[in-house]
Amino acid sequence: MIEYHTFKHSGDSDSYKDEVYLTVVPSVTVAVFYGSALKSQSKVSPQMFSGLLAEVSKDSDFIRMCEVLDNRLPGNAEYLVLRIEGNQIACFRRGGVSAKIVINGDLRLLPNGIFGLNTGDRILVATDNFYSCLSDEGILADALVTDSCTEWMNLLVRRISDVNQLKCGNLSAVTLLVR
Amino acid sequence: MPDFTLLSDQSILLIQIAAALFVAAFLSFIYVALTTIQSILKLRKNAGPDTDNLLVCDVAYFHCRGNRENQEDSVYISHLEDANTNGVIAACSDGMGGLLYGEVVSQYVVERLSEAYPMKFDDQEGISETIRKISAEVYEQYRLGAGATLVMTHILKNKMNFYSVGDSNIILIRKGRATLLNPKQNYVSLLIRKLAEGGNDTTEAYRNSRAKALIDFVGNIETNVIHTSKPIQLYEDDIIVVSTDGVTDAISLHRMSNILLPDYGAKQLARIMKSGVKNKKLPKQDNFSAVIIKMDRSLI
Repeated sequence: MIEYHTFKHSGDSDSYKDEVYLTVVPSVTVAVFYGSALKSQSKVSPQMFSGLLAEVSKDSDFIRMCEVLDNRLPGNAEYLVLRIEGNQIACFRRGGVSAKIVINGDLRLLPNGIFGLNTGDRILVATDNFYSCLSDEGILADALVTDSCTEWMNLLVRRISDVNQLKCGNLSAVTLLVR
Repeated sequence: MPDFTLLSDQSILLIQIAAALFVAAFLSFIYVALTTIQSILKLRKNAGPDTDNLLVCDVAYFHCRGNRENQEDSVYISHLEDANTNGVIAACSDGMGGLLYGEVVSQYVVERLSEAYPMKFDDQEGISETIRKISAEVYEQYRLGAGATLVMTHILKNKMNFYSVGDSNIILIRKGRATLLNPKQNYVSLLIRKLAEGGNDTTEAYRNSRAKALIDFVGNIETNVIHTSKPIQLYEDDIIVVSTDGVTDAISLHRMSNILLPDYGAKQLARIMKSGVKNKKLPKQDNFSAVIIKMDRSLI
């Protein structure tokens, strides 16, 4: 079972331009779109990203799904897509969105590819803006002292708040825990 | 002096060749030995997590009274000679200001911890339960009339667990960046959560007059002990600071990362930190205590 918690905050911006997409059926697909990093005249919008993802995420083949996204989204679109099936996680990222996984008391960047997952594994997916006020040691410590994704996210948000009171542009993140 | 004049020319030549060969062999031996030592040192320097279990703790502490009438901080460091088997435990407890008996409670907390030593490194739940028991004992005695904070690290080889109640500090300085590891149990956390969920910024939370009020402490009813469920990996040159808030009130994390450099040993780091607090000369300087642990590579 996968437990998750999403966080979307406009920060001090007028609007929320990122997008967090999540489906759990037929498999867990998580996507974070970094719309706030795009220029205002960009051809791709958060709604367009969600629509496209809803269309292609039904594809059982993750690599094919990523190829379609890669072809149909403009080159400046920054996003990350994760799919969790059984004890495997597949990751595809483009630009300033990344996933970090807690392994053996350490925090590692999840590269593009397919990897094994174990019970108790914790993953954070977030935009560069979300990571900018956090250190790997802080993310790791918060992951290791909490029992749920919601608590973990609350502690991360507190860290960001201590730096800038959340006045820092759009913040988008998802915490995941393999139960 | 030996007289070689009686030897034939051929014998002298053979002796000279033998001497030359000996010198060449000796120089080769020196070269091979130096190269091997250099490779071992390089290998150790570049070693990954697998060889980091060779780490040892270099420990120092200070325990000072600020501009307060009583010293309400207490410090505990476990026996370092048992470090290989039982790990190193470092703890700081800060008696709560405004309540009576702060000094007595913090002293009681560290004494009870020392009685509980040795503690099983992987039994995080068991150790948390021990702390909860100590808290319950304080509650039974004072019925919320006294309390203390507690921060504690337990380091075994290259791994660290930590335990925290209240708002004292466990700081990790790695690669020139200082990070507070333990979440503080104060009222501002609840306000931040509420404001963030509502999509607001959190400026208001920090302005609240009760922002720094503790929501948990040793001596509370059913104390929530924050603790790691799995240990954190440590690396060579990591610096861990276990301190009361008298230290962080005077030295910010940013400043700490600038003055506490991995080139120094724990004793020197403690000295720098202590004078950093004193030089700040805060008129209301709280008592300030800290245990500084520097992770060094074992030569054995």
